[in-house]
Amino acid sequence: MRALEPWVVEPLQSFLTESSARLTLLMTSSGQVVAQHGFGRSLDVMTAAALAAAIVASTEELARLVGATRFGALVHHGVRQSCLLSSLSTPRGRWIGLVVFGPETSVGIVQLFFDRMGQELAAAAPRDQSKPPMLAANFETELRDSLNALFGR
Amino acid sequence: MNDDIRSLTARLADEPSSLAFLELAEALRRRGRLDAAYKVARGGVSRYPGLADAYDLVARILSDMGDLAGAFDAWSSALQLDPMRVGALKGIAFLYFRAGDVAAAVAHLQRAAEADPDDASILPALDRLRPETAPDTAPSPAPVALPAAVEPAPAAGSPTGALFEGIEGGEEGLLLVDTHGLRLGGTLAGAQGTDASDRVAAQLAGLSREAARATRLLGLGGWHSIAVEAPDGHLVLSAPTGDSILLACRDRSLPLARVGLLAERAARAARAWLEAME
Amino acid sequence: MTQTSTVLDRITRVPGVRGALIVSAEDGLVVAEQLMDGVDGRAAAALTGSLVARLARATAATGLGPPGFVQLRGDGGAVLAAPGAGELVLVAVVGPDANIGLARLEMLDAAGQLA
Repeated sequence: MRALEPWVVEPLQSFLTESSARLTLLMTSSGQVVAQHGFGRSLDVMTAAALAAAIVASTEELARLVGATRFGALVHHGVRQSCLLSSLSTPRGRWIGLVVFGPETSVGIVQLFFDRMGQELAAAAPRDQSKPPMLAANFETELRDSLNALFGR
Repeated sequence: MNDDIRSLTARLADEPSSLAFLELAEALRRRGRLDAAYKVARGGVSRYPGLADAYDLVARILSDMGDLAGAFDAWSSALQLDPMRVGALKGIAFLYFRAGDVAAAVAHLQRAAEADPDDASILPALDRLRPETAPDTAPSPAPVALPAAVEPAPAAGSPTGALFEGIEGGEEGLLLVDTHGLRLGGTLAGAQGTDASDRVAAQLAGLSREAARATRLLGLGGWHSIAVEAPDGHLVLSAPTGDSILLACRDRSLPLARVGLLAERAARAARAWLEAME
Repeated sequence: MTQTSTVLDRITRVPGVRGALIVSAEDGLVVAEQLMDGVDGRAAAALTGSLVARLARATAATGLGPPGFVQLRGDGGAVLAAPGAGELVLVAVVGPDANIGLARLEMLDAAGQLA
C-alpha cells in the first residue's frame, strides 16, 4: 500500500483487512491519486484513476439529468472480479474510491467497510487552520457547484 | 544480469510498494539465486502481510533452500489467508510425503484436486501416492526429519491421545483446529466415511475472527458459539482459547441444544489439554 | 401487505427480536428490513451473508448438506439466519432474553415462503 499522506494509512489498511479487496485506489475527484494498494505499475494507477474520475463525473451528470441527487456508488459485477466506484467526503474534499474485489468477499462487505473507512478518514484527517492550497481542478469544481446552487440548476 | 531481472529490479526500485516483487523473486528463484530471491520475497511479505501469493513464494524459495520447516510455516500462512490455495496444498503435501506421512500428503493433494480440478499435476501425484497407503506396498522414501512442531497427522482410526476422553460419542465428530486452519486433534468423517478432518479444518481458518467481527459490529459483544442445522447433521462451533476453534458434529437424532452442551464439555477438555501442552 | 412484509412481521413479533431482514446471500445486501432503532441493517446483511457463505463451505466439506438454520451467539444477543430458496436468507437480530426457540420456528416456516 502506498499513501501520499500518513493519516490515510491506518483507515485504508483497516479497510483492506476487513474487505479483502484485491486492488484499491483513492483519488481526489479530479483524478489525483491519494493512495493505492495492489497495483503493479504507476501507469496502471494513473490510467485507472483517470478512468474512474471520468466515470464518476459522467455518472454525476446522468444523475443531474434525471433529477436525482448524486448517486452513492457504482458496482460492476464480473465473473471473476467485480469493482466498486464510490465517493466519500473528507476534510480534504470529495474523494473517489475504486475497489476491485473477488468472490472471496461480497459487495455488501466492501461497501460496509468502505463507508467505515470514510468515517475513519474524516476522523483521522489533520485539523489545520490554514486552507489547503487551491488547485485549479478544485477551483473549477467549486465555481461550477456554486453557480449551480445560485441559479438552481 | 538478464533483461527481465534488470527491468523488474528497476520497476521495484521505482515503486517499492508494487507487486513487482512477486515476479522478481520468482525470476531470481528460477535462476537459482535463492538468497536474493528470499530477500526480495521477505520484503514483499512485510509490505503485504495479507497476500497469500507472497507467502507461497517465500515457501517455494525456502523449500529450494532446504529449509523445510520454514517452508511449512510459510505455506501454512498462505493457507490461513486462502484455505484453497493449490500451490500451498501441494507444497505441504510434498513436505508430508518427505516426512513419511503419506496419508496426510494424500489428504492435502485431494483438497488441491478439489480446489483446481484442471491442474494436471495433481492426479498423477495422487495415483503414485495412493498405492503406498496400503500395508503391503514398497516402503516410502526415507523420512526427512522435520522439527518437532511439524507433527504428521495421525492415520485414520489411530488414538489421538486424551484430548476428548470421556466425551459422549468419543472423539469422532470432534475437531480442534488452530487459527491457521490446521488440525490439532479429533477426527471427522465426511461423506462415504472418508476422512474429512483436514479439509474441514481448513474451512475453519478465519471463522473465529469473522464471528467476532460480526457480533462486535452488531453490538452483541464477544461471540461464544455458532450452531448450524443441516439436513444430515448438526454442528456447533466455539473457541476454547483465543488461538483455537472447536467443531462438534453429530447426527440429527441428537437435538441441537444437546450438541451445544456436548460442545461446551469438549471445549473445556480442549482448553485443559492445550494448557497442559504449553 | 406484501409477502415480504408479512414474513418480517411474523419474525419481529417474537419477544426479544430487535430486527428482521431479508438478505441477498451472494451480495450481502438488504432486500427488505424491519428494524428497531440501533440495529444496523446493512452491517447485519453484509456480515451474516459472509458468515453463512463460509459456514456453507464448512458444511459442504463435512458432507452434511447446506445450512438450514444458523445461530451466532454473542454476549449480548444473537444473530439467527435461515436460508430460503435461491440466494435469499432470512436474518434476525435478537437480544439476550429472546425466545430463540420460537424465533427459530417462525423463521424456518417463513424461509420456506421466500421466493
